[in-house]
Amino acid sequence: MLTFERYEMPATLPEALALWAEAPAGARLVAGATDILPWAREGRAGDVDLPLGIDLSRVAELRGYERHGARVRLGANTVWQDFLDDPRLARWLPVMPYCSVWFADDQIRQQATLAGNLVNASPAADGTPPVLALNGELELRRWAGDHIMCRTMRVEDFVTGPGATRLAPGEIVNSVTLDCTEGYGASFQKVGLRRSLVISVACVAALVKLDETGTRFEDVRLAMGGVGPVPERLRDIEDRLKGAALDARLIAEVAEAAAARVASRSRVEYRRRVVPGFVRAALEEAAERARTAPQAAGLKEALNA
Amino acid sequence: MPEMTLDMRVNGRKVTRRADPGQRLLDFLRDELNLTGTKEGCGAGECGTCSVFVDGKLVKSCLMPVAKAQGADIQTVEGLARPGELEAIQKAFHKTGASQCGYCIPGMVMAATSVLREAPEASLDEIKERMGGNICRCTGYSKIIEAVALARDVVTGRASPAVLEPEGVGDSYIGHNVRRLDAPSKVTGRLKYAGDMVMPGMLHMAVLRSPHPHAEIVSIDTSGAEAMEGVACVITADDVPGKDGFGVFVHDQPVMARGKVRHVGEAVAAIAAEDAATARRALAKIRVEYRELPGLFDPEDALKPGAPVIHDYAPDNVVKHIPIRKGDVDKGFAEADLILEDEFSTQQVEHAYLEPEAGLAYVDADDVVTVISPSQNITHHRHMLSEIIAKPINKVRFIMSPVGGGFGGKEDMIYQGMLALAAMKTDRPVRLVFTREESIIASAKRHPSRVKYRMGLKNDGRITAIRFEMLSDGGAYGMSSEGVMRKAAILSCGPYEVENLQVDTTAVYTNNTPSGAFRTFGGMQAQFATESMMDIAAERLGLDPFEIRRRNMMRAGSLTHTQQRLTSASIDRVLEAAEQASRWEPGPVGMRGPTRGDLGGPGTRAPCTLGARFETPKDSKERVA
Ligand SMILES: Cc1cc2nc3c(=O)[nH]c(=O)nc-3n(C[C@H](O)[C@H](O)[C@H](O)COP(=O)(O)OP(=O)(O)OC[C@H]3O[C@@H](n4cnc5c(N)ncnc54)[C@H](O)[C@@H]3O)c2cc1C
Ligand code: FES
Ligand code: FES
Repeated sequence: MLTFERYEMPATLPEALALWAEAPAGARLVAGATDILPWAREGRAGDVDLPLGIDLSRVAELRGYERHGARVRLGANTVWQDFLDDPRLARWLPVMPYCSVWFADDQIRQQATLAGNLVNASPAADGTPPVLALNGELELRRWAGDHIMCRTMRVEDFVTGPGATRLAPGEIVNSVTLDCTEGYGASFQKVGLRRSLVISVACVAALVKLDETGTRFEDVRLAMGGVGPVPERLRDIEDRLKGAALDARLIAEVAEAAAARVASRSRVEYRRRVVPGFVRAALEEAAERARTAPQAAGLKEALNA
Repeated sequence: MPEMTLDMRVNGRKVTRRADPGQRLLDFLRDELNLTGTKEGCGAGECGTCSVFVDGKLVKSCLMPVAKAQGADIQTVEGLARPGELEAIQKAFHKTGASQCGYCIPGMVMAATSVLREAPEASLDEIKERMGGNICRCTGYSKIIEAVALARDVVTGRASPAVLEPEGVGDSYIGHNVRRLDAPSKVTGRLKYAGDMVMPGMLHMAVLRSPHPHAEIVSIDTSGAEAMEGVACVITADDVPGKDGFGVFVHDQPVMARGKVRHVGEAVAAIAAEDAATARRALAKIRVEYRELPGLFDPEDALKPGAPVIHDYAPDNVVKHIPIRKGDVDKGFAEADLILEDEFSTQQVEHAYLEPEAGLAYVDADDVVTVISPSQNITHHRHMLSEIIAKPINKVRFIMSPVGGGFGGKEDMIYQGMLALAAMKTDRPVRLVFTREESIIASAKRHPSRVKYRMGLKNDGRITAIRFEMLSDGGAYGMSSEGVMRKAAILSCGPYEVENLQVDTTAVYTNNTPSGAFRTFGGMQAQFATESMMDIAAERLGLDPFEIRRRNMMRAGSLTHTQQRLTSASIDRVLEAAEQASRWEPGPVGMRGPTRGDLGGPGTRAPCTLGARFETPKDSKERVA
C-alpha cells in the first residue's frame, strides 16, 4: 500500500522542478504510476509512506511530440498507447507500435509513459531496446536556484544497471529524442509467460532499411533486452549486415552469434536458445516490412486510422 | 492524511469530495462513493477487475492516484445502463452465459465496452487482444469473447437486437439455452461480495503473519498497537474462549498461531481499527519474539526417523494414510509380460480465484455472532466456530456471501474465527479483506504429490497389476488432506479395471503452506501418473493409445478399485468422443511416419501473436461461428 504525506500536481515545469529541488528525502516523481504503485506491495517494498509525490501528468511542457528533421522529440508524458493511436508516431517510429502492442495491456498503456519505463530501468523493460536502436537521448532538466539547467544524455549511457540510472538529484526527464526512421521496416519480438501483462524473458527490437533495389541492407538497427543487466545494442551484427545482400543464411549466421550475448543470471540456457530465433525472426520480419514499407506493411491500419 | 478538493463527474453526476489525493481512484470509488461494482482482484494492474473509464479511456483504477482524475469524467460499470436496464453488451453476457462467479465480470463488461467503442469492427483475434488485460478464472474466455462478438454484431447492425433476447425453452429446459438468473446482478456490478459490504460503525481488520516457517512464539507484546489511536482491539490466540481448533477433518489448526507458528504467512495476531490503513500501520507495533525451530520442507524428510515434529498429536508427521488392496499383486506381476516403473511429481498450485478472501462479522442484538463470508462450507464452519467461541449453536450464524471463485480454496475457515473474535471483543462490525498477496501466502494450495508407479501388463495391453504409492505434501495443517488422499486413492488407477492392485496414498505434515481442497481433490495428481503410464505402456507395447485404454476400461459389471460393482460405465463413449474430436489417426505412437494429420487444424490453438489490430480490414465481415 502506497501512501503520500503530500501529493502535488504541478501544472508547469518550473513548478515541478522547484518542488523536486526542495523535495524531502524519499520523495518521488510520479508519471503513470504503473511502476510505483505495484512496487509498494507485499513481497516488494511493502507498505510505503512517502513524504511527497510530485505528479508530472499535468505538467504542460511534458506533453506532446513533434518531428524536428531527422529526430522525433517525445515529451516525457507520452504514453505507450500514443504509439498505437497516432498514425504520425507510427510512421516516424515504425518499431514503436509493434513494441507497444506487446506492452502490458490496452489499459495500462493509457497511463504508462515511455520516460517512466526508461527511468525505472528494469533489465526486462520493453521500451529500452527500441529506444537504443533509435539512438535515444534524454533531455534532463534541473532547477538551479534561479534558472533551469538542461543537459542531454544518450539512453545507452543513462541506464547503468538493474534499476540504476545516471539521473542526478533534482533532475526530471523532459523529453526523449529518437531517430526518425520513416520508411524502415520494423519488428519487435517478445516472450514471457503469457501474452498480455507479461514481463519479457527476452525481447528484441529490429529496424531495417533496404537500398533502392530492395535487395541489400542499407541500415540495420538491432537491440535486445531481458537477457542481461542492461539492454544492449547489437552493433557487431548491425555492422556485418550493413551493405550486405539480404540473405537468409547470413541472417541465420549472425543470429546464432547473438546467443553469446546472453548475460542473465537465470534461465540462461532457455534464453540462449530463444535469442538466435528472435534475432533471425526480427531481422526477417523487419526486412520483409521494409520491402513493403510504409503502405502495405502491417501498419496500414494504424496509418489509415 | 493530506486532503484536496476533488471535483469530477462520475456516471454523469457531479461529485465533490475532500479526500486524500494520493489514494487510488479505486479506493475513492469504492470507499468514498460506494461504487463497489469496481473490484480489487489484485491491486497491481494484473487482473482488470478495477477497469473504469476516465475521460473516455479505459484504465485500471488500482494504478491511478485519484488526483489524476481531478476534473475528469469517470464512468464505472454502474453508469453503463440505467437501473433496471441492460446495455447490449450486458445483455450479450447474459445471453451467452458469460458470468460464473461474476467477480471479473464488471471489469470484463467495461473492457468489452471499450472494445466496442474503440474498435467496433474488431475481429475475434482483435477482441481477444484488446481484452488481454482482464483475467477470468471461472467462466473461461470462450463465452466472454462470444458475448463481445454478439454485441459487436448488434451494435454494428449486422445482427438484429433480437439475438440478445432469451430463447424459448418450450416444454423442457434440457437442451435449451437457459439464461442464468443471477447474471444481471453480475453484469451490472450490483451484486455485493463480502468485501463490498459495509455496516455502520464497521472496523477494518489487518492480520500479522508469521515470517518463519517453524518457530516457537516466546512472547507477543500488543501494547504498542493497543495504544494507537484508531485501534479498537488486538486479538491473539489468548482471546479464544472455547476449544481452539478447526479443520475439515482433523481440528489441528488454531484460529491464530498458538505457541508456535508452522508456516510462513500463518496468522499470529489481528488488529481491528477505524480504517484499514491504521490497522496495517498498527501491525508494525506488535512485538513478537520467536525462537526458530528446525523446519520440514520435503515430505520425504517428514517420514525420516528423528524428523522434527510439526504437531504433537502426530509424532510420525502423518496426516493420513489411505491403503487399498485388491487381488494379489505379486501374482499379477508374476503373470506380466512387461513391468514398467516410473515416478511422477506434480507441483503446488494456487487457486487464484479473482475474489480475495473477505468477511464481515458482527454480534447482533440477540448476541448471535454472525459471520458473512464466501465460505464454501458454512454449516461445518458454524459448528466449529461454536466450539471455538464456546457458544451454543443457536448463537452462531454463518451467512454465505457470493463466492467470487473458490475451486476448493474457500473451504478452510482461515479467517472467519478472527473476525468473530474481534466482533465479540469490540461489539462492532469488523471487516477483513485479504490482499492478493495475503490470499496467496495464507490460503491452502493443491497438494504437491509424488507417485511411485509399478505397472504389469500382458503383451496385448491388459494390465495385470498396479502398485501405486503417493506421497503428498500436506503442509502445516491437515485441512482437506484426508479427503484428498481418500479421493486420490479411490481414483488412483484410473477408469481401468485392474484385478490386482496395491494403493497407498499418504499426506504428511511439513512447514510448507498448507495443502487443501482443489478441483479434482487429488484426482488430477493420480490421473497424471496413471494416464502417463498408459501412454508409456502403449508406446512400449506398440499399441494405439486409445486401444490400450479400451482394452482395460471399466464396463458395466466391472469391479472398481474399492470393489464396488458398476452397473454402468461411460468411458467407452468418452474415448470415442475424444478420438473423434481430436481427429486422431489410429496407430501406435511411434509408427505413423514423419507426418501426422491430426496435429494443428481446427480447434487447435495457434502460437501466440499480437498485432491483430494492425490487420483488421475496415470492412471485416467476420462473425462468430
Ligand atoms: C500489470 C503490469 C504490466 C506491465 N507490463 C510491462 C511490459 O509489458 N513491459 C514493460 O517494459 N513494462 C511493463 N510494466 C511496467 C510499467 O508499466 C512501465 O515500466 C511503465 O512504462 C512505467 O511508466 P510510468 O509512467 O507508469 O512510471 P511511474 O511508475 O510513474 O514511474 C516509474 C519511475 O520513473 C520515474 N519517473 C517517471 N517519470 C519521470 C520523469 N519524467 N523524470 C524523471 N523520473 C521519472 C519515477 O519517479 C519512478 O521512479 C508493467 C506494469 C504493470 C503493473
Ligand atoms: S488490475 Fe486493478 S485490481 Fe487487478
Ligand atoms: S466469472 Fe470470471 S472470475 Fe469468476
